[in-house]
Parts: sequence; structure tokens; C-alpha cells
Amino acid sequence: MAPTDLPEAAQRRLSEGAFSSALGVSDFAACLEMGLEPVGLVQGFCAMQQGSYMMGGLSRSLSPYGGSAGGYVQNYQCSHGMISNEHRTWGQNYEQTWVETAWMQGFTSSFSRMLEEAGELGAHGVVGVVDTVTRLTDAKVLEFHMVGTAVKVLDAPAPTTPPWSTYLAGQRLSKLFEAGLVPVSIIASISSIRVWAYCTTEFLMGGAGTMLRNSSGPQEIDQIVSAKSQARFIARSNVRAQLGSDSLRGANLELGEWEFERGDYEFQAVLRGNRVRRFKNFDPLPVPRATVRLS
Amino acid sequence: MSGLEATSSSLDVKAEVRRANAFLAEKPPTTGAGTSDLSIDEELNLHSIGWEPVELVSGLSVFSTPAGLWNWGQGEIVMAGEAHQRAFVSASQRLHNEAAKVGAHGVVGVHVERQVYSTHIEISLLGTAVRPVGAKPVDASGVFVSDLSARDFTLLMVAGWQPLGLASGASFVYAPRRNVGTALQQKSQNVELTNYTEAMYSARETAMERMQRDAIALKGDGVVEVKLVEGPMRFAGHAVGFAVWGTVVRLTKESHHSVAPLKVVSLNDTDVAFDTAALA
Repeated sequence: MAPTDLPEAAQRRLSEGAFSSALGVSDFAACLEMGLEPVGLVQGFCAMQQGSYMMGGLSRSLSPYGGSAGGYVQNYQCSHGMISNEHRTWGQNYEQTWVETAWMQGFTSSFSRMLEEAGELGAHGVVGVVDTVTRLTDAKVLEFHMVGTAVKVLDAPAPTTPPWSTYLAGQRLSKLFEAGLVPVSIIASISSIRVWAYCTTEFLMGGAGTMLRNSSGPQEIDQIVSAKSQARFIARSNVRAQLGSDSLRGANLELGEWEFERGDYEFQAVLRGNRVRRFKNFDPLPVPRATVRLS
Repeated sequence: MSGLEATSSSLDVKAEVRRANAFLAEKPPTTGAGTSDLSIDEELNLHSIGWEPVELVSGLSVFSTPAGLWNWGQGEIVMAGEAHQRAFVSASQRLHNEAAKVGAHGVVGVHVERQVYSTHIEISLLGTAVRPVGAKPVDASGVFVSDLSARDFTLLMVAGWQPLGLASGASFVYAPRRNVGTALQQKSQNVELTNYTEAMYSARETAMERMQRDAIALKGDGVVEVKLVEGPMRFAGHAVGFAVWGTVVRLTKESHHSVAPLKVVSLNDTDVAFDTAALA
């Protein structure tokens, strides 16, 4: 569905009188205090299938070194000089850029569809956004769902730019404005790293050292540390690339991992947050007064 | 101000929102990016003492432990304690390096995640690098790492204390098996299993001592907000573990400055909820 192609029923519903809102009563009241008038509950959906990419490393019988889809790649080579089908002579960490692209496409499509609905309502912004990503029946199909409350700024001219958006609502949003920051948009990024463990990683993740218990001390598992660190770094770098000169506030970094065989993993990092822009210099606050409640 | 007067903001929030909304139509500024996982309340707390968030930073380490380590033996499982300690130090060092690289003076609100598996131990740290507003970078050795929230960091600084870094300690100890005769004899008795009790005490003392050693190495006066995790591991029925970590602090003024909290009493009645179960 093209982003400018709202269903007819949605257009009809949005053009009718009563507003709807996902805000709780206290958040609703806080919005009115800020001069934000809720005009409608807006949503965006996208079901996204994640494709496969022939990286060469789909089975252990094929060395993956020849293939790369761009992004982070790190190779590991066995130094033991052993030749055996059971000995993992090669290892590789690589960024699954096609996984990241599919995820970002799903996120961006549902986001722009939600904004389109807000635009139809003449809203200046969308507050209290909740976004969920659900794995559908097929493990490679993700459903992206975004919901928020479109608001108009009272006594402001009709919007000439796309609506701003934020995960915040209520008092937290009010404090953001008071602190001199204006929400620009919600923002997210993902990184996906596949690990094919080489022999050393396999042994260490499997508890190597049993036989040499008295002579082999703990060792850092470099391949895993590198993969996990890169997953976080790439997620943060991708967000930074979207930020421009704006800032990210209230960030939330979620980490996921799936083990396929001993030492073989996929690591994902998803970073979400509020892209904000400073619209006035920060007025220093007095040091807050500490209180103790007597009950 | 007497301290009993209500304070209220004189700011016209509606006007501020209109101003902010209009600002978005203007050309975006060219400077001033940063990332942070602090809440807006935490950021305001930081600003009240003249500090600002700079960047989201992380550090991670995974150390191997021999698989057959956990079930048979006596005394401390030295390699497991060593793996935990080295993983914690490596992760802290990486977090510290990232913070120094972005010109921060410290890291606050560090989330400490630890996973102890039979074959490896993982320590993962994530926090927000901070500095006094507009301050120049300091020497990397002066950058602190703390798991205190931004609110607690603010209170600590106001009270004249300073965080210096994270201290940690861990110890894993075998709980020796009872001999067959004793086990059978005690099978139906109420009896303390002193092997587990003693193992826990032993692990506790060693872990606490290690954390204290870290604190002394950082020239701290003490450790605040100590977290502790203790108990058996799912994969090791005859071993117990004890891990502690916290923020090392030092008094920077001549004496502790009392924050003299204002005592408040809520005049609201306790809500009386209608209990449907009472009708049964």
C-alpha cells in the first residue's frame, strides 16, 4: 500500500465529528494543559517478510569468506592445523544487512502510514506512540503496528510540515517542552549479527578446559564479545545517522539472541527513542528540594 | 521562602508549545547531537546541578569457564570467581573507554546485566555518559562509572560526595556432598544442611572482600547501593554463588552536606476499595 493511499473507510471515519484517543485520563488532561487538543487515534500497520540472502555460509560445508552483503564482517581462522570435517577451521561474524533493511522498511512503512492518518486530521503532532513488532506464524514474517494520538496545537496556524511524533505523553511531554526540547519524531534502528563460530569459540562456549582444568584459566571469548559489541555499536551508529544535529532522548536498547548450534548465534540490537531538537536555551533549574513523605 | 509555600512554575506552557511547534518549521540547527537513555526527569535532575547527557555507551565481556568445574570439588571454585571478576573488569574498562572517547566525565545509570552459565560468564554494562554542561574532556583516568541513577547521582553530588567507579566481587563455592550414611540418617529429619550454610558464608566473605579491595584501590570511602545476587545455580546442585557490585564514593567536601529533606504529609484518605470477595 502506498503511503498516500488511505483506505476509504479510514478517510470517512477520520472526517467525522467525534475524536478518539489512546491517552489515559491524566495524560489527556496534561495534553489540554499544554494546549494540545487530541483529534484522533491514528495507526499504521505493515506485515513484512524477511528474505534470505545467499551469503555462502548457509552450511558448514561452504566457506563464507567469499560473500558479503556490506557492513561489518570479521573472519576467524583456526590455528591448530587440523583437517577434519568435525573441526571448525573457519569462523565468521557478519552483519545481516538484509534483515536490518526488512525491519527498517516495516517500521518506516507503519510509521509513515500512522503519520498519514494524522495528516488527514490536520494534526501538528502525534503523542504517546506505542509501537509493537510481533512475529507472525511464519518466523520470517513480522507485523509492525504503530498507534498514537494525533493532536493539534491550539491557536497555531495549520501545519505546513509533516506531523512531529513522540513516545512521550502527559507530564513527561510537558517537562520536555519546559526543558526547551521539542519532539521531532520517534526513531528506531536495528542491527543483526550472525556468528559462525570457529573451533576456539566453539570449544570455549562449550566449556573447554575440562581436561586442562588445573592449567587453563578462564579466557575471554573474543568472537562473541566482538559480535555483541558490534551489534550495539551498529544500532547506535544507525540511529546517529538518522539524527542529524538532533538528539536522542529516552532511548531503549533491547538485545536478543538465538543459538543455532554450539557457538553459532544471531544477535540483534533494537534501539528506540525520541528524536528531539532544542528550541531555546536551557534555563538552569534550582536544585530540586528533597522531600520525605510521612505516612 | 518558608519551605511550606507551594512552588509553581511561572512558565506559560501553552506558549512554549506553540513556540516549539513553530520552531520545527525553521531550518534545523547544525550542532548539538547526543544520545541518552535517561528519562526527562533524570535529565532535569542532571541539569539542576549543571550536568548534561552526552552519549549512550556500553561495555561487554564474556569469559569461558571449564564445563566440569561446578559439581565436584571442595572449597572455592576459583576459576569461576576469576572469570566473573575479569569479565566485570573488562566490561567496565570498555565502558570507561567509550565514555572517555566522547569527552564525558563519567557514566551514570549503568544497567548491569550478568549471566552465569556452566560454560561461560557474561557481563554487560549500558549507561549514559555525562559531563558538566559544555565542559572540556578530562584525562581518561578521571572518568567515573556508576550504576547510580541520575537522580541519585544528583543527590550524592549535592551532599558533597563523588562517585569514583564500580566495584565488584564474586565467589562460587562447593557445598560438599554428605556421605551416604549421613544423608540417609538425615533424610526424614528437620536438620540444617551446614554444608550449604557454610558454603554461602564462605562465598559471601570472599565476594565482599573482593569488592572492598576494588573500593580501596579506587581510593574510595565506601560503596553505596550495593546489589547482591546469591544462591545456587540451576546447572550446579552442589555449588553456591555470591556476587556483589556497587558504586564507590568519596567525600569531596570537608563534611557531608545535609540535604535536609522537607517532610510532607499527604492529606488524602487511603482509598477504600470495594471488595467483591467479601460478598462470597
